[in-house]
Amino acid sequence: MKRAIDAGFMLCLECHAVNRQDPDNPEAGQICTRCHAPVYPRRPGSLARTWALLITAAILYIPANLLPIMVVSSFGKGSGDTIMSGVIALIHYDMVPIAIVVFVASILVPTFKLVGMGLLLYSVQRHQPLSARQRGVMYRFIEWIGRWSMLDVFVIAILVALVNFGSIAQITAGMGAVAFALVVILTMLAAISFDPRLIWDNTESEEDHDE
Amino acid sequence: MSESPPSPDALKQLAPEQLVICHECDLLMAKMHLADGEKAQCPRCGFELYHHQANMLTRSLALVLAALLLFVPANFMPIMSLGLLGQHNNETVWSAVLALYQSEMALVALIVFLSSMLIPLLKLLCQGWVLLTLQLKLPAGFALWLYRIYHQMREWGMLEVYMFGVLVSIVKMVDLGDLSMGVGLVCFIGLLVCQIWLEATMSEHQVWEMLDELRTEQQVDEVMDEACD
Repeated sequence: MKRAIDAGFMLCLECHAVNRQDPDNPEAGQICTRCHAPVYPRRPGSLARTWALLITAAILYIPANLLPIMVVSSFGKGSGDTIMSGVIALIHYDMVPIAIVVFVASILVPTFKLVGMGLLLYSVQRHQPLSARQRGVMYRFIEWIGRWSMLDVFVIAILVALVNFGSIAQITAGMGAVAFALVVILTMLAAISFDPRLIWDNTESEEDHDE
Repeated sequence: MSESPPSPDALKQLAPEQLVICHECDLLMAKMHLADGEKAQCPRCGFELYHHQANMLTRSLALVLAALLLFVPANFMPIMSLGLLGQHNNETVWSAVLALYQSEMALVALIVFLSSMLIPLLKLLCQGWVLLTLQLKLPAGFALWLYRIYHQMREWGMLEVYMFGVLVSIVKMVDLGDLSMGVGLVCFIGLLVCQIWLEATMSEHQVWEMLDELRTEQQVDEVMDEACD
């Protein structure tokens, strides 16, 4: 099997048109002949940018989990809810299926994304002999699942609007929500800035086993 | 892609228009012609390369129109309302954004506004204009640019996640007070269905190819006009 980069072609990541590389300067970027977006054989600086976004997300991950995302106050008494305490509260109210959905979307997925993207970057940089096909599936999964972590942010938005009865009962958003929303956005940006074609570079020998 | 593939060196001789490259793994392949309803997958990594839809243009246009009609009621009519000790509170997508903004969470309010309202609307408008361009043979250059913008925005519209947020909120609030669903919820579900259906119908490779053909036609016409003058 042949890579496009070896045959002198490159793919526009926006419109999927095939562009011919400049024979004198194959690494150089061009403008796509069809949609006029910039095209490169491999996205420049992809690894550095993905690392930067991922590390920022990992730092914000700490306040996102420790600070309250939501403050419920009723008759003068207020209590902060962190992501984890929200899940535990749902279990106490016998709403286990919803607790599982929130747990997966708000805790499991962001953690999996941070670890998974880190693993992908590390394996690409160190040419680790992981199966390229498996890594490809993992990347596609991370890219697809990313947006679902916004679930808790939307729930907070809805509850803040819905439970607004002055001193009787009121829900407000906490600083944890800001950090959490930023974690979701930064990990999505990290997945976008990663060039998945890097996974398949340097895997030719291993791939002969697979096929 | 079941036909025997040409050898790598033969591929090198083909014109770019006759080739496909996998978005995920950079495998180079010869392009196959697909019949209506067929799809092509990458033999190496399993990524779906493209699919071919019958009557793509008219079906997509109908869906864009339906989605745009539902957009205003879905966002500005009450999704649900909560009653507590005689007081009633309505929640609309827009009022949720406002409530966050008023509780000094401007950044979160902005993120919710973009992902649940503005970007879904802009996406629909881009898709609508691109489809109209193809239908009415309007200038292709602008539509090509818009369709690129649409691709940049694609992942950031999160209507389906919002829908799950509504479900979770319903379950959380159902014991707290007198909870009832509103017209907005029906419109929101309708909008979501139209949008998902539209994205499955509006086959990207078909749109890009049609836009490219239209632009080539328009460029040829221009040259002919100049030659006649």
